[in-house]
Amino acid sequence: MTSIIQTESLSRRYGRTEAVRDLTLSVPEGSIFAFVGPNGAGKTTTIKTVMNILEPTSGRATVLGIDSRRLSPAEFRQIGYVSENQEMPGWMTIRELLNYCAPFYPTWDPAFAEDLRRRLDLPLNRRIRDFSRGMRMKAALLSSLAYRPKLLVLDEPFAGLDALVRDEFIQGILELAEQSQWSVFISSHDIDEVERLADWIGVISEGRLYLAEPVAALVGRFRSIEATFEGEATMPRPLPERWLAPEVAGHTLRAIDAKAGEAGGEDRVREVLRGAARVEMSPMSLKAIFMALARTFRSASRAEGDR
Amino acid sequence: MLPFSVSFKPGLSVHEQVAYAVKKACVTGQLRPGDAFPSVRSLSQELRINPNTAHKVVGTLVAEGLLEVRPGIGTFVSRAPAATRGQRRTLLHEEIERLVVEARKLSLDLQEVIDAVRDQWERLDR
Repeated sequence: MTSIIQTESLSRRYGRTEAVRDLTLSVPEGSIFAFVGPNGAGKTTTIKTVMNILEPTSGRATVLGIDSRRLSPAEFRQIGYVSENQEMPGWMTIRELLNYCAPFYPTWDPAFAEDLRRRLDLPLNRRIRDFSRGMRMKAALLSSLAYRPKLLVLDEPFAGLDALVRDEFIQGILELAEQSQWSVFISSHDIDEVERLADWIGVISEGRLYLAEPVAALVGRFRSIEATFEGEATMPRPLPERWLAPEVAGHTLRAIDAKAGEAGGEDRVREVLRGAARVEMSPMSLKAIFMALARTFRSASRAEGDR
Repeated sequence: MLPFSVSFKPGLSVHEQVAYAVKKACVTGQLRPGDAFPSVRSLSQELRINPNTAHKVVGTLVAEGLLEVRPGIGTFVSRAPAATRGQRRTLLHEEIERLVVEARKLSLDLQEVIDAVRDQWERLDR
C-alpha cells in the first residue's frame, strides 16, 4: 500500500506554540482520508506544511513520493488544493478563471470542466466578487477538479456552506470516482457528511495524532452502552480504560466502549456489568464517536490547564 | 436517479446496507432480471458513498450471483437463478435461528413472531 501523503515526526512551531507535534501519518493512495479534530487542533498547519506553504520545524512530509520542500510544478499539476479561505481574483468570471488556469495543466479537460460547472450550478459570466461563499468554494473546487488531479486536498471545505451546497460539493468530489489512482485528503471539524465518504479517518487534537484507522474499523469497534440495574446503578471498579464518558443516574448506567465491537469485546462488557439486569450495546455514528472523543480531549486539556 | 433507495442508519456497515437494499429491490420488483445496474460512479454519487465501497458492493453482489458483468457493455441484474441448496440452507437454518434466538431473548411468543413475518411478507407484495 503506497502512501500518497506521508508525514514522519512532523512538527511545526509558531514562536512558543507547537501547532503540530511529532505527527506521523500515512494517507493510503486511492483512499478518501478524513482528517478531523477540534478547532485549533493543527489540521490547517499540517496541510499547509504538506503543501509546502509552511516548512516543518522538524520532521518531514512527503507528497506523491517527493519531500514537501521540493515540490515542483510537476507535482502541483497533479494536486488539487482548496483551502477554507481560498483567494480568487474577484474581477474574473468563471469563464476567465478557467481560461486562466487551463494552460498550467496538461491534463485539463475542458469538456469535463464544463460538465462540472453545470452540475455545480455556477454561472459563466458573473464576477467572482459577486459570488456567495458557497459559490466561491464551488468555483475553487471546479478549478481544482478540471485537470483530474491525482490528489485532492481540501482544508475545511464545508465551513460556512449551507446543506445543499455541501451536498453539491460532495457530489463534485465524487465526479472523479471512475478515475483510477485518485486520493482525497479532507480536513474538517464537522463530520456529518464525511461518514459515508471517507474510508480512512485520522483524529488530531492539540497538534498530536490521536488515531488513524479505517472508518469501518473505528465504527466497528465503538459501542454505546446502556445498562439497567435492579437497584441503584453503580460504576464498575476498576473502570475499564477503554470506556469514555461513563455516567450513572438512578437505575441506569451509560458509557461508551472504544473496543466493544472487537472480538470478545461484548463478552468483556457483559463481564464488567454482570451485576446489571440488562445491558444494551449499539453502534455509533462517526459523528457521535468524534463528539465523545472531542469531549475527552477537552476535559484532558482542562485538567492540564488547571494544574 | 437510482432505481432503488437506501435508508442509511449511522454506525452500520455501508457496504451491508447497500447490498441489502439491492437484494430487497430485487424482491420487490424495483429491479428486475436483465435491468441495467448503475455504474460504481453513479452509485457513489447518488448515495454519497465512498467509491471503493460502491465497488465492493458490486463485487459482493456479482459473487453472490445477483448481478452479472458483461464486459464492454455494463453491469446487469442477473436472470433470476434458482436459489442454491446452500443459500436455502443458510436462510432457513442460520438466519431464522438468529431471529428465533433474538425473539426468545426479548420474550416474544411464537405467534408474535409469525405475525411479524407475515406482515413483512405481505408488505413486500404491495
